[in-house]
Amino acid sequence: MARHLEIGAAGEAWAARELERLGYRIIETNVNYGVGELDIVAEESGEIAVVEVRTRTIGRMLPPEATVGPRKTRKLVKAGSIWVDRNGWDGPWRIDIAAVTLSASGEPTLEIFKDITAGSDWL
Amino acid sequence: MNTVLGVTLQGIEALPVEVEVEITGGLFSISVVGLPDAAVREARERVRAALRALGMSVRGRVAVNLAPADRPKEGALLDLAMAMGIASSMKKASCLKPALFLGELALDGRVRRVRGAVPAAILARKRGWPLFVSPENAAEVALVHGVEAYAVETLADLFDHFSGQGQLPRVEQDPGSEFQGKPDPDFADIKGQSAAKRALEIAAAGHHNVLFVGSPGSGKTLLARALRGVLPPLSDEEMLETLLVRSTVGLASEYSRERPFRAVHHTASAISICGGGSTMRPGEISLAHRGVLFLDEFTEFRRDLLESLRQPLEDGVISVSRAAGTVTYPARVLLATACNPCPCGFYGDPVEPCRCSASALERYRRKISGPILDRIDLYVNVPRLTPEELVQIGDDNGPPSEHVREKVIAARTMQWERWGDQGYQCNAELPEKVLRRQVAVGGEERAFLKTMASKMRLSGRGISRVVKVGRTIADLAGSEKVAVEHLAEALAYREGGALPWTQ
Repeated sequence: MARHLEIGAAGEAWAARELERLGYRIIETNVNYGVGELDIVAEESGEIAVVEVRTRTIGRMLPPEATVGPRKTRKLVKAGSIWVDRNGWDGPWRIDIAAVTLSASGEPTLEIFKDITAGSDWL
Repeated sequence: MNTVLGVTLQGIEALPVEVEVEITGGLFSISVVGLPDAAVREARERVRAALRALGMSVRGRVAVNLAPADRPKEGALLDLAMAMGIASSMKKASCLKPALFLGELALDGRVRRVRGAVPAAILARKRGWPLFVSPENAAEVALVHGVEAYAVETLADLFDHFSGQGQLPRVEQDPGSEFQGKPDPDFADIKGQSAAKRALEIAAAGHHNVLFVGSPGSGKTLLARALRGVLPPLSDEEMLETLLVRSTVGLASEYSRERPFRAVHHTASAISICGGGSTMRPGEISLAHRGVLFLDEFTEFRRDLLESLRQPLEDGVISVSRAAGTVTYPARVLLATACNPCPCGFYGDPVEPCRCSASALERYRRKISGPILDRIDLYVNVPRLTPEELVQIGDDNGPPSEHVREKVIAARTMQWERWGDQGYQCNAELPEKVLRRQVAVGGEERAFLKTMASKMRLSGRGISRVVKVGRTIADLAGSEKVAVEHLAEALAYREGGALPWTQ
């Protein structure tokens, strides 16, 4: 496995544990529908949260959360809609970003951006 | 019926808008349907932020429907109603009886002032609905009597009111102040010009249109501005009408009975005077409703603009038609105008010679059309004062504005007692049929009028305007009957002095 993929997979696993600690109930991970992949599907405060995990080593040009652009967001919306549809969820749901930053020594820190599509008209 | 109501404006009338909200599961979004304009669509950001400031997080798919769906909704008027609709749909606040909500929301939940509070208050009063407005709108709403209105400082206060945890302050009724500013300039400060002052007195008493013609520096503008100080106060009904227009435009209302006085510069556009524009607002002529529309340098106005005043001057209303529809605004104004007699300004001046060529005079004359001139009741020649008159430090400048105003009020009261039941406020408003039947003009006066009309080549409208002015002069004299002397004075103003138009 290429090094960046390894870091990504490790970041996802660590983020999932951290999210559980923060009150997210993990339902499913790595759901692939072809239109896009969902890293983590969890339930938090009565809502379904589709969490996109992004892991980056510190010092890169962009912070991890900035790597989710409009194209990725659209894919997340599509895949998320399919998930809520297939699982019969009719309540509110949202898309979160879990940004994992690795320090030079490899220590991870987590930052969560909730409901990233709120207020966007372009979707 | 939905209980959360907002308003949208059509002309100076507020129409109720039902705000229906449905929240379903899904990715968060707010969509607004029902012909919203950009400002209404942007309301969702303000509404969401304001609700979040209260700790209410809106989740899921929110659909807001503004009914009736076929009428365009405009502006930030509906923010408060939409917030209330969403909150009641989320079961965070419940509004059991129909109520009217009016206000723009700040991101922190404060309620800001909007235009159209007075039309909304009148609607609320008619339907018996309570009205919730920003405290900044409270002063104008207070002048609408008999409406149950509450001042809403913040959205939190509103929800507390509906949950019973708090009580919003009622908007106290305000009778409207009788205050009239000190006349500036005062008649007593204007030297000489007794004929012009008399004409102003008549104009103020009967709401007649007036044109001042004079050389530069003769005091035309000063005189026209002095008109303000002799106008009678607005009646209750009139005050509400002027308030409606001001509120529709969104001007901070002056809460006094002083009549509006709108001075318009000659570079004004037709829309700014007649009303209209992309947001359909009343123009200056409607803002001057029941008061004075002052057009200084009358001849410098664009021709088409002056022509567009013809219909409102006659009818007292202006209909603005656009593809989106037609609205009617009130426009019963006293048109006060001033201009020079010729391009150089000295035509007819006793000292300075006029340097204009005959063709220049002809061209100048053509700037103002006959139909417009026909609508002016009082032509007043304002001569330049001689140097002796100017430097003379005399006290005898005639009666001060206050005294003249008392006479004007007395004359206006007579008119009101005579025509009030029929719905007319003053002589200038009288339609032809009423004039013919009810203005007492005897046989002798009739004969006099006939001779003069043919001598002066008066139009039918010209004659009826002379009779109206004559009626006002008789009112000022306290006479029940219009006598020959009253008509003669009226005719004298009609003829004017050395006006190039009447030569």
